[in-house]
Amino acid sequence: MTKYILKRLGMMLMTLFLIILLTFILMHSVPGGPFTRDKQVAPAVLAALEAKYNLNDPLPVQFFSYFSGLLRFDLGPSFKYTGKSVNDFIVNGFPFSGRLGLITLVFVLLTSIPMGIVASLKNGRWQDMLLMALATLGVTIPSFVIAAGLMYVFAFQLKWLPIFGVDDWKGYILPMVALGGYSISFLARLMRSSLLEVMGQDYIRTARAKGISEMRVITRHALRNAIIPVVTVLGPTVANLLTGSFVIEKIFAIPGMGSYFVNSVTQRDYTTIMGMTVFYAAFLITMVFIVDLFYVMIDPRIKYE
Amino acid sequence: MSNLLEINNLRTSFLTSGGEVQAVRGVSLSIGRSESVGIVGESGSGKSVTFLSVLRLLASTGRIQGGEILFEGKDLVGMSRKELRAIRGNQISMIFQDPMSSLNPLIPVGKQVSEMLWSHHHAMPKSEQEQHTLELFRMVKIPEPEKRIKSFPHEFSGGMRQRVMIAMALACRPSLLIADEPTTALDVSIQDQILKLMRKLQAEVGMSILFITHDLGVVAELCSRVIVMYGGLVMEEAPIDALFENPMHPYTRGLLASIPSIDQDKAKRLTPIAGSPPDMIHPPMGCPFAPRCPNARGICQTKMPPYTSVGEGRRSMCWLLTPEAPLTDNPFKSGGEVWA
Amino acid sequence: MSEFGEGSFVSEWERVKTNTRDMEKIWSTPRTFAGDVWFRFRKKPTALAGFLLVLFLLAFALLGPLFTPYSYSDQSLTLANIPPILSVTEASNGNYLYITPAMKVIQIGRDGKLLGQLRKIKDDDTLRRISFTLDDATVVYLDYTVKPAAMLDSNGMRSPADKQVWNTSFLLGTDQLGRDILTRLMYGMQISLLVAFVAATINMVIGILYGGIAGFLGGRTDAIMMRIVDIISTIPLTLYVILIKVTLDNGLFSIILALSSVYWVDMARVVRGQVLSLKQQEFVLASKSIGSSNRTIMLSHLIPNAMGPILVTVTMLIPSAIFVEAFMSFIGIGIAPPMASLGTMCNDAMEALRSNPYQLFLPALAICLIMFAFNFVGDGLRDALDPKLKK
Repeated sequence: MTKYILKRLGMMLMTLFLIILLTFILMHSVPGGPFTRDKQVAPAVLAALEAKYNLNDPLPVQFFSYFSGLLRFDLGPSFKYTGKSVNDFIVNGFPFSGRLGLITLVFVLLTSIPMGIVASLKNGRWQDMLLMALATLGVTIPSFVIAAGLMYVFAFQLKWLPIFGVDDWKGYILPMVALGGYSISFLARLMRSSLLEVMGQDYIRTARAKGISEMRVITRHALRNAIIPVVTVLGPTVANLLTGSFVIEKIFAIPGMGSYFVNSVTQRDYTTIMGMTVFYAAFLITMVFIVDLFYVMIDPRIKYE
Repeated sequence: MSNLLEINNLRTSFLTSGGEVQAVRGVSLSIGRSESVGIVGESGSGKSVTFLSVLRLLASTGRIQGGEILFEGKDLVGMSRKELRAIRGNQISMIFQDPMSSLNPLIPVGKQVSEMLWSHHHAMPKSEQEQHTLELFRMVKIPEPEKRIKSFPHEFSGGMRQRVMIAMALACRPSLLIADEPTTALDVSIQDQILKLMRKLQAEVGMSILFITHDLGVVAELCSRVIVMYGGLVMEEAPIDALFENPMHPYTRGLLASIPSIDQDKAKRLTPIAGSPPDMIHPPMGCPFAPRCPNARGICQTKMPPYTSVGEGRRSMCWLLTPEAPLTDNPFKSGGEVWA
Repeated sequence: MSEFGEGSFVSEWERVKTNTRDMEKIWSTPRTFAGDVWFRFRKKPTALAGFLLVLFLLAFALLGPLFTPYSYSDQSLTLANIPPILSVTEASNGNYLYITPAMKVIQIGRDGKLLGQLRKIKDDDTLRRISFTLDDATVVYLDYTVKPAAMLDSNGMRSPADKQVWNTSFLLGTDQLGRDILTRLMYGMQISLLVAFVAATINMVIGILYGGIAGFLGGRTDAIMMRIVDIISTIPLTLYVILIKVTLDNGLFSIILALSSVYWVDMARVVRGQVLSLKQQEFVLASKSIGSSNRTIMLSHLIPNAMGPILVTVTMLIPSAIFVEAFMSFIGIGIAPPMASLGTMCNDAMEALRSNPYQLFLPALAICLIMFAFNFVGDGLRDALDPKLKK
């Protein structure tokens, strides 16, 4: 087991390294990027960059100094905003994004799994049709359309919820629903098909042949097996919430990391783009790793090579 | 002797989008106590569905359309689900063909077996349950039971898994064990071991065994009586020796003719039964075997034959056995081969 | 005696002639593979609806512009922000008057045609009233003492705009610059569909080649190639697309390039899986034994047999591409003006969401219809190709 964990950890770190390298190379290939002489850059920023990244040095050396900065958790200065560093943006934005992300994830799990279970148990009946119709809508309608729609109905017309910002808890509701819409629908469909497949398996018939109640058959035997595909897909789900946050934070004017990132992209703040990408990558890789561990704990069939 | 299980004119169908598949079309039979009976038939003959109907373990599209199933005098068809659950595993147990897919891959086997105990003896304390489970594992000859109790199904070989299934089925000492092709998925040598085990256990526990299979050879090992099914109906029923010595149905004769035996004449070809099973959505009007029977007559195509009693504990469903059938050109009355 | 009716040819005890053909009868109607897939596809209502919708949308985008009198860039600033359905009041000359959110007044003919903006005479702050001239003859007043603003009738009373009339000059209304939304939708759809199709095609080709080679060569090469794919897929593909777009300029070409750069990984996995399983089959062995080159085997045997899953995957690539393009346009790094895709139209309309919601919801609806259509077609194809669901 430990060997497996170490192996996965090694893979993770290698992946992260490659991504950092890739991002570095990409940012270097931009004409007028941070590592060339650009008239548009404020002298103070240029000076800071030169000091940090030794712009006159050959590329590998620059990469080395960047990388060693990363090891100290120093993501570098902002290319556009003098005096601000990428770390600043992350520290400022993380509380908002983190809160929204966590709330949404919990909301997604608490909604999609029961939805899928009910739809599966009432297979073919109106509850199934209704829930799956909703899920189809959620998966097909883009999140920003859902966000705009919710905003129009609940904030503008009905005036029940605030339009912008997250000053109080009510401000989180619309962003949470808009951000989670796709994932809820996707997971609900997955849960439903997974449970349907499990219920048709031979071991469910065996369980019934033992004379245990149908409730126990479902909870003790079926659900445990059916939830595995959902766990597998948790990593990509978190990734999806992350990219979704770019657009949701913009629409609802939430000052989270997503809006800093989008801003850096439109402003061509290359060092921030690079730094935040590295941060996101590291975060997601860690999430995937944790989910993997979880998965191994649940399913005894996994062979640790 | 009162019968343990009595099935009267059972009809079971599956309601699919392609139509109603009539899997069982009027099966009647009875099983006594401590009997071992073989149910033989090819795929689609209705042999499994008949007994899945007994415990109401049919797929969601399955429906019992008529008939009664009496277990110790009580009708199982009309019984409430709650009452039926008290019988499942407790008085009637069932084991299935593929032990790998029949065991829950995520739960240790010991727990799966003791769940049987928990289900019918709630009050039994955990330690006693574990003791019982160990006993059962020893009974079915699983080595190192203390260790194996915590193992998962995928850690066992096919034969071992089937032993686990048997242990599970016997946990509450049922009076009837239904074994649906338990050795089909196993190697021949393992098959043999399992059959011997089942014979031993039957003697020990004193239960009846219903052994469903398509393999006549296996039946010969274990059963005292055989029921041959085809097209959703019982074709012939006889004590084992009588059946092998003098089969009284064209289908049975065909089955026996297609089994290779060690001492057979090398020059003699094996005669398979030509054709394929009938369409159960539109089953034939008359005898279901008529389309493939080399002795089929006009009446066989249009009318369902009645059962004729042909000896002690024997019956067969064939027009050629009835009093109205001609005496000449009739393999059952004038002699000669059914299958040339 | 026999109870048989007319036309029976065998009496009770006469032997029946056995017909081997009857005995081996197969109980379903034979069809070709493609015919079978189409048959099953047709049976599913959502799949068929999706297919028809795709055809309709293509016609709308490609042929639609031939029927509109406007181009996508024609502006008429006086007629900006006019919705498709107007709430109007009757004017004294028999026509209708519409009050814009900016408190201008537009005259509308009885048939719904926009006849032009009324010239303002004076804005009286104290009375909170604006006067306009109607046909250079009469004067009409707009009262804004309370919200919403309303016209005053001949008695000086507020006359609410309670009649609804269709805008027949601009069927779906105009945007902030007075451009016809219907026309812009058509062009926007052209751009969105073009980007999506080209990107999907490039992804498909790359994916087929990559996955095909990996699966065909197998062994170490396959392991390395798939490891690379795994590493790429660890972080969300959208992130890569954003990064790559940032390093490129603003043209249409660059967004297509960005979209084509990463989504081939799904296709690669699917094709590799298919090739791996097909490789074992006998027709490949047969082909090898007659001396076909590897390239021939790949192109004439393996790929065509994998066509089913390939088709399904590519059909699902299109809505992904549409979505990502719209997503990027929405956060501001998509297609640049003057060209507009559905995504940029949505983005531009966000600021005016409160007052002119139709400007956002019409292109949003278009996006949704495209995604629905292709998703349903993809689902239908997948079910039609699944051998387990065969009847």
